[in-house]
Amino acid sequence: MLEIKNLNKVYPNGYHALHNINFSVPQGEFLVVIGLSGSGKSTMLRCINRLHDPTGGEILFNGVDTTKLKGSALRKIRSEIGMIFQHFNLIPRSSVMANVLSGNLSRTGILKSIFGVYSAEEKERAMKYIDIVGLRGKEKNRADNLSGGQQQRVAIARALMQNPKILLADEPVASLDPATSHSVMQYLKKVNEELGVTVICNLHFLSLVRQYAHRVVALKAGKLIYDGKPLEINEEWFKTIYGEDAVEVTIN
Amino acid sequence: MQKKISKVKNKNVQMVKAYILDTLAWAYIALVSYKVLYDRIYIENRYPEFTWKQPLYALYFGLAAAALLFFTNFSLGRGSFGLIKIKDDESATTKPFAFIGYLLIILTFVTGFYVSQVSLKEFFSAQGLEGAKRIFTALFHPNWSIFEQGLFAAIETIYMAFIATAIAIPIAFLLGFLAARNLMTGNPVGFFIYTALRTVLNVSRSIEPLVWAIIFSVWVGIGPFSGMLALCLHSIASLTKQYSEQIESVDDGPIEAMTATGAHPVQVVWFGVVPQIVLPYLSYTIYRWDINVRMATVIGLVGGGGIGNLLMQYQGQARWNEVGLLVILIAVIVWTMDWASSVIREALK
Repeated sequence: MLEIKNLNKVYPNGYHALHNINFSVPQGEFLVVIGLSGSGKSTMLRCINRLHDPTGGEILFNGVDTTKLKGSALRKIRSEIGMIFQHFNLIPRSSVMANVLSGNLSRTGILKSIFGVYSAEEKERAMKYIDIVGLRGKEKNRADNLSGGQQQRVAIARALMQNPKILLADEPVASLDPATSHSVMQYLKKVNEELGVTVICNLHFLSLVRQYAHRVVALKAGKLIYDGKPLEINEEWFKTIYGEDAVEVTIN
Repeated sequence: MQKKISKVKNKNVQMVKAYILDTLAWAYIALVSYKVLYDRIYIENRYPEFTWKQPLYALYFGLAAAALLFFTNFSLGRGSFGLIKIKDDESATTKPFAFIGYLLIILTFVTGFYVSQVSLKEFFSAQGLEGAKRIFTALFHPNWSIFEQGLFAAIETIYMAFIATAIAIPIAFLLGFLAARNLMTGNPVGFFIYTALRTVLNVSRSIEPLVWAIIFSVWVGIGPFSGMLALCLHSIASLTKQYSEQIESVDDGPIEAMTATGAHPVQVVWFGVVPQIVLPYLSYTIYRWDINVRMATVIGLVGGGGIGNLLMQYQGQARWNEVGLLVILIAVIVWTMDWASSVIREALK
């Protein structure tokens, strides 16, 4: 479903962030990307939905090269790719329902969205997703009145409103405590297994990786250095990916 | 090797800048010493003559003095650009070059006093105190018979300020987006609009509403309309700048999130940018309304209508008791507006 070929990204100031990345992701997989901070994980993820523009290579999403798209064609592809962020990026003073509905913007007319006119069908779907992430009853609450974990779940519901084929998660649990991290990862797993959404997730903790990932790729200084099963990352690989002085920290 | 070459080049540039600073400093000292200290104070020349030769000679003097002192510790230029060594336990403020700086400051103060015609003599003279007594007694005995007239003028002022602000808001809101660097500088057309708009706004803002009122009073005639237009134009320029600065400082996160859903750019702005700027916008808008009310009270002095108009009439007739009442009314209006705006701002938090 997603094929990345020779992906290269050089920033205008000359910094070479990604070097010839190659891998593919079959439908329904839960792929986790690991690597040190600054290794290019976020950049790579953002290249997939063109929040950053790659400087070379191809990204084939169901056979369509996303690197060449512009305008409404680009927006259409983006609507099929959902994304959640480390800092949630919700609209703080809006309600949970309003936030989730904003996931559907690509299919809502401009004027309608500005005046907040959503169809009953849209509202029903939003309610369904709010239910799936376990926030039924909280749809009228202001988003910034929720805890971190709950806000991330709102973000997941918002991404689901797009009916995405792929869900990109850029360090979704990096701002959350261990217990809440597991809770959010469980919801991602649920989305992957019950709704069949392919998930690509950046993570820091290997214990989470081992528990939730089907497959792992590791980046180091912009290069892909590991592509395989999570359980096959032994101590030697760990030191290669994270460096000689790295010590594993687990969160239980 | 490259680094060394650029370091030397840098130092040479600094030396040139230091020499220029020294020249200007000594030229200033020479000119001011001659014009103010010698001409005005020492020989009390009431109508000093001015020829372009004077600054020219001062400049020659500056060049010479700067050259002479350049390599000593008295070089203000070298000291300012860090080219004079200062030991660890020393401070730059005690070194010889600093004293040239102090001399500059003292001379500027002296000049300032003389150019502003500061005179304690005038302030405390018998005539002066008489005049002060006259105006202050009049102000404390306001003429209440013109209260009705004043009240209607006050109402005109308040509505003028309100309309000026209300019309400025939607226009500034739209222009704010066009003047925000982070939204406009992606493509050449956008950049052109951004630069042109910013220039026009800067010029408009530099002209005080009072001056705009004079301009408009010729166009639409004396009265509240010209005052309102002047306030409106200045408000648009000011609010657009404030609004655009808010837009430039928004967090990228919500913008990324909305873009990632495939939303249209207008929707990205509405859902990603606007929620972040609503509160600061309201705050600045109320602040603007506050300022407009203050300005509206005096804009009548130049033909803008409202209470300022009345003030100008009575001031022209030297009827200070009436002026006294108007001053009180103005103070009441502004004070009430101040209080109302702080209440509204508190409620918004």
